[in-house]
Amino acid sequence: MKKFLSAVTAAALAALLLAAPASAVLNVAAGTDRDSVEINGNLYLTVTVSGDSASVPEPKLPNMQSFNIYSSGRSQSISIINGKITTTVSFTYILTPRFIGVQTIPSISVFNGKEKAATPEMQVTVTKARQPAAQQPQQRPQQAPRQQRPTQAARTAANRGEQIFIKAETDKKTAYPGEQINISIKFYTSVPLSSNPQYVPAPFRNLISEDLPPVRSGETDIGGVRYAYSEIKAALFALNPGPAEIQSATVIAQVPSEEAIDPFDPNFFQKFMAISGAQGQSREFATDPIKLDIKPLPPGAPAGFSGAVGNYSVTAAADRPEARAGEAVNFSITIIGSGNLKAVTAPKFPELPDFKVFDTMSSLDVRKEGDVISGKKTFTYILVPRSEGKRTIPPIKFSYFEPHLAAYRELQTDPVTLLVEKGGLAAKSVNFNPATAAAPVTASGSDIRYVSDKPGSDSLPFLASSVLALPYWTHSVPVALLLLSFWLARFNRFKLANPLLFRFRRARSEASRDIEAADILIKAGKPNEAVARLYDSFMKYLSDKCGVKVSALTIRKAAELVKARFPSATERSLDEVRELWGALELRHFSPEAAGSEGASDLAKKYSLLLVRLEKELK
Amino acid sequence: MKKIFLSLLLALPSAAGAYDRGELAEFNDLYRNGQYEEALEGYKLIIAKEPSNQWAWYNAGNALFRLNRIGPAVFNYAKAFMLDPRSQDILVNLDFAMRQTGQSLAPEGAPAALFYLYYVVSETELEALAILLFWLACLAGAACFLLDGGRGGDYAGRVSLAAAGLLVSTVVWLGARQSSPYSSAGVVTRAGGTRMLSGPGEKFKTYASAPEGRLVKILDTGDEAYYEIGLPKEGIKGWALKTEIEKL
Repeated sequence: MKKFLSAVTAAALAALLLAAPASAVLNVAAGTDRDSVEINGNLYLTVTVSGDSASVPEPKLPNMQSFNIYSSGRSQSISIINGKITTTVSFTYILTPRFIGVQTIPSISVFNGKEKAATPEMQVTVTKARQPAAQQPQQRPQQAPRQQRPTQAARTAANRGEQIFIKAETDKKTAYPGEQINISIKFYTSVPLSSNPQYVPAPFRNLISEDLPPVRSGETDIGGVRYAYSEIKAALFALNPGPAEIQSATVIAQVPSEEAIDPFDPNFFQKFMAISGAQGQSREFATDPIKLDIKPLPPGAPAGFSGAVGNYSVTAAADRPEARAGEAVNFSITIIGSGNLKAVTAPKFPELPDFKVFDTMSSLDVRKEGDVISGKKTFTYILVPRSEGKRTIPPIKFSYFEPHLAAYRELQTDPVTLLVEKGGLAAKSVNFNPATAAAPVTASGSDIRYVSDKPGSDSLPFLASSVLALPYWTHSVPVALLLLSFWLARFNRFKLANPLLFRFRRARSEASRDIEAADILIKAGKPNEAVARLYDSFMKYLSDKCGVKVSALTIRKAAELVKARFPSATERSLDEVRELWGALELRHFSPEAAGSEGASDLAKKYSLLLVRLEKELK
Repeated sequence: MKKIFLSLLLALPSAAGAYDRGELAEFNDLYRNGQYEEALEGYKLIIAKEPSNQWAWYNAGNALFRLNRIGPAVFNYAKAFMLDPRSQDILVNLDFAMRQTGQSLAPEGAPAALFYLYYVVSETELEALAILLFWLACLAGAACFLLDGGRGGDYAGRVSLAAAGLLVSTVVWLGARQSSPYSSAGVVTRAGGTRMLSGPGEKFKTYASAPEGRLVKILDTGDEAYYEIGLPKEGIKGWALKTEIEKL
């Protein structure tokens, strides 16, 4: 059981992984309902295949020498997340063991044309059959005991002295259409057979059959003779009212020759070898045909009755209680019970104006315990809520005919309420309708893309690599510029904040430029312009050094300011200042009254005074 | 300076356009004819001349893939991817080749959109962008100081601050990219995979192996003959011959 649960968990995890946006993955998992089984018992093998398409491939069962295999139905679940379909299908098989010991179930593979997946091998221990007495309490009440008394027909045949015979019997002679009728075909032999007999099933008229594995075998005593028997059972379901017939089932067996052996016969050894089993006579044994009376169903069937016969219950459920408008919700109606579930059709689905209803999918899980066909059939509807709010799916009615009571029964599911929230844009775009969908694009393989003949590097990667190829020192240029401009800005601000200081520092250089300009004017024969230039320059020099305006400067004030600001200034220098000022003023304002002192001498005197003042005015 | 910078910007793409298209087409003809070895030699010549040509790397990866040399193919595709992570052709082929070696391009469970956003620009482009933003921040800052007090200065200051902010973001992004599988990484190119030793030399024990085509982190390049490599997914590291690993 643990193995089965782990396998199912693995399959569920695989199915969850499929919801991820990764690439499509086909998964298969297999598990048995138990790890050991008696030789006369059977076990269920469940193979779960999951994929991301609406249909998944059926598993390919390998040749199993150790088991007989009977299909027992399939169940399907589909989840749709953001319009992506994930399908999980469980295929159920009944395995009946053939040999005692540890038997291997080989790897089971699936292939969807693109991907292949396989299960690992599994091992099952097949044990000897337990004694009937011990087995009896475990069997269901309706199951016939394995070691039963021979039937009247068998006793009659035995009384006729037959060593090998075959008998067929049904558990009832009359039935309703769809009601289960069990047939038992027993092959008796009191002599060893030369080889395994070959069974040819009986043809049926107005009946369909379902195997009831496994093949039972045992021994029984009829009229003092020990017979070995093999029993094959099948469930029959009548199709229509009227006569039905089970025609002859046949067994072909190699039986030992009954010819007496004369010890003096020249062919004694050949005949002896033949009788010992090496050879035999092929004989055919057939059952008598059985006629059945199929009664019509009584009148008064409910309106929704669609032919289901048996004993059922019905439930309905949504895969989640809340959803968004436009999102797909799986709504399942499950019919559980005994009867021919294959013939059960989907109950009539009510009109649901609040939902878009898409096509149904049915899944079937058939069980055959106690020779009773039972199980469950699930009809899944895809519902897409149209709008938000509390939305209710009303009760769904299901009617069937119960043959034991000879009466119709009508069941209904509980109403299912869904809380629908407002859907997003993505939800509105969900559209699922496999019936009308166009054929999907099927990838038959994959490969790398072709070489490119695009012209070299694109500009962006090329630009990037070119930028990175620049020498490292080049990246110091913007830093240097930044630092330089920062210093300049600071300097400029300092200069603006201290104009007198800069006038003071600049006074000498400006005065020197003026003297040079005056010299040029003198050489050009313009002594008056030269003296005027020297006068203005001297005034400006003193103004810059003293930090006052030129207009506010007089000879006396200039001398006082120089003395006050620059205590190191000598009297001689001050006298020379006064003298030069007077000479320049005289020459500037009354050139005619000026002495012989020329402009050139004034320029030289100014130049020498500048040198002296620069040393003292600090 | 701005003029020089703009001239540089304009000149580089035109230089890219000057690439000889006929040469690549010629080697593609060899590839088309199934002469993969010859085509590969041609693509290698282009790579030697122009290492930043992502299509030469990509085509070389294709030729190697056809030659069933999956490790070198992954390496070449990864190089192309690092140069141009926006190309769908490169992405598809790298992803395809990596799947052949049991790897996936995008980390498992990571949203594809996030992966593409993370790799929308290459590491080289990010580094270049950081440099350009650095230049812009410095030059605009310089302009801000030079035009101190004026409207132009204010505008330049804002540009400089914005560029500095973007530069910080780019550097953070670049730092985050250092944890990317393609950063400080290499590819096992030796056919059959490489042995991982417990130290840089044959005398050390082999305790793991990295299969061909496997993307590995290169942790140490100091040794002459061996890289110290790490397999982050498995949480193991070891030393492998440099000749068996191609550094991205």
